[in-house]
Amino acid sequence: MDWQALTLTLRLASITTVILLMLSVPLAALLVLGRSRWLAFLEAIATLPLVLPPTVLGFFLLVLLGPRTAIGRAIIVLLGHPLAFSFSGLVVGSIVYSLPFAVQPLVAGFGAVDMALVDAARLLGAGPARVVFTLFIPLAKRSLLAAGILTFLHTVGEFGVVLMLGGDIPGSTRTLSILLYNQVENFDYAAAARTAAILLTLSIAALAAIYIGSRSRGGRRA
Amino acid sequence: MYSRTFLIAISALGMSPLSGHAQLRVAAAADLEPVLPPILLQFQQATGIRAEATYQASAALTTQIQNGAPFDLFLSADLSYPKRLIDAGLADAAGSPDSSTPITYAKGTLVLWIRKDSQLPPPSLDLLRNPALKHLAIANPERAPYGRAAVAALTSLKLYDNLKPRIVTAENISQAAQFVDSGNADAGLISLTSALTPRLASSGTYFLIPHDLYPSIEQGAVIVSSTTQRAAAHKLLDFLLSPTVQAQLAKSGLTPAK
Repeated sequence: MDWQALTLTLRLASITTVILLMLSVPLAALLVLGRSRWLAFLEAIATLPLVLPPTVLGFFLLVLLGPRTAIGRAIIVLLGHPLAFSFSGLVVGSIVYSLPFAVQPLVAGFGAVDMALVDAARLLGAGPARVVFTLFIPLAKRSLLAAGILTFLHTVGEFGVVLMLGGDIPGSTRTLSILLYNQVENFDYAAAARTAAILLTLSIAALAAIYIGSRSRGGRRA
Repeated sequence: MYSRTFLIAISALGMSPLSGHAQLRVAAAADLEPVLPPILLQFQQATGIRAEATYQASAALTTQIQNGAPFDLFLSADLSYPKRLIDAGLADAAGSPDSSTPITYAKGTLVLWIRKDSQLPPPSLDLLRNPALKHLAIANPERAPYGRAAVAALTSLKLYDNLKPRIVTAENISQAAQFVDSGNADAGLISLTSALTPRLASSGTYFLIPHDLYPSIEQGAVIVSSTTQRAAAHKLLDFLLSPTVQAQLAKSGLTPAK
């Protein structure tokens, strides 16, 4: 078992989840509270990463973030290296790739909060931030949990984007899914089965622990 | 296998050709993608047999054939994958002097490729020693024949250990080319067939890696034993080995087999 690939993958998934939740909570709140018609387009765009094949998404990011575009050159000035073939590049790719998995549960959860409560809060003078922190987050914490879990797992299983953007560098871009794919493609089925078994066991254990925790705190209802 | 479902779906739709021969299905290595289509068209004009190719990494095609993918002929980018199928009793080189060895139909050439607008000096072996070379793209040496050749060439030059941290590994030759073409890697070791495609020929330049630096990339063909169209598959193989087609291969970046 390649523990380096495992820790790298867990690090990537954790960082992606934290950043993505911080971005998605305000975005989902805007989508739920906003009145503008254009928000429908924003929601559509936030869902788009589901449509593109991941390798194609990865290819577009490779080109977009590469030194042949203004964005790519700005990144090189800021970081001193291109985003491709680096861990930070994978974080950026994962954020784009997993965006719908964070936003969609939050939009559904926030949207299910009784709007009479929101209107009452607003009448009493609460701004959008206060509505989010005192109503949405406490009342939709199950959706928040779902968004976090889906983002994390989706990033752990991310393959096409990493394949295109990563360059398979041990310790920096060789994630568990790339390692698994390499093992399968190299006909090393025994090693692939071991890696997959460890991944599945860890995932089941972690998920069960989270679900048990959330059940004991007030049952399944948010 | 997806490909099988797909083929079943296609035939269910009645799209399979109605000529005397059913369509020949060729599993072809990815480096043949720029080369093979016109040859298959000429083959159809010469013999009336339609042949359709699926282009993928040789390793992936080998796995598919091992799992019953309905191909008639396998054109690999090396000898080891077709040999593996022969040893498993799934393919053969019947008709050739040694039926347990894949039939070499061409040899590949490795090139060092960079973009024309690169800040680096023109490609040469010296470029590989240039510290300004930050990322060198190669195909996966564990399974892509050109990736294996790339590592062998760098090892012969005693540069491999030094360059290792700067090597980025792509899934196959065309992805290695994309790494360089998109500007993310500075240079790449790719196939001459890729470097000669119109797209890459217009955006970059290449340097031929001397043949004595890496073992020759012999590309082997085998007939998939489960084929129901052995005669037609043989015809296509003979066509590939004919002097006209071999001369055509040379123009596309492959060295004739003989």
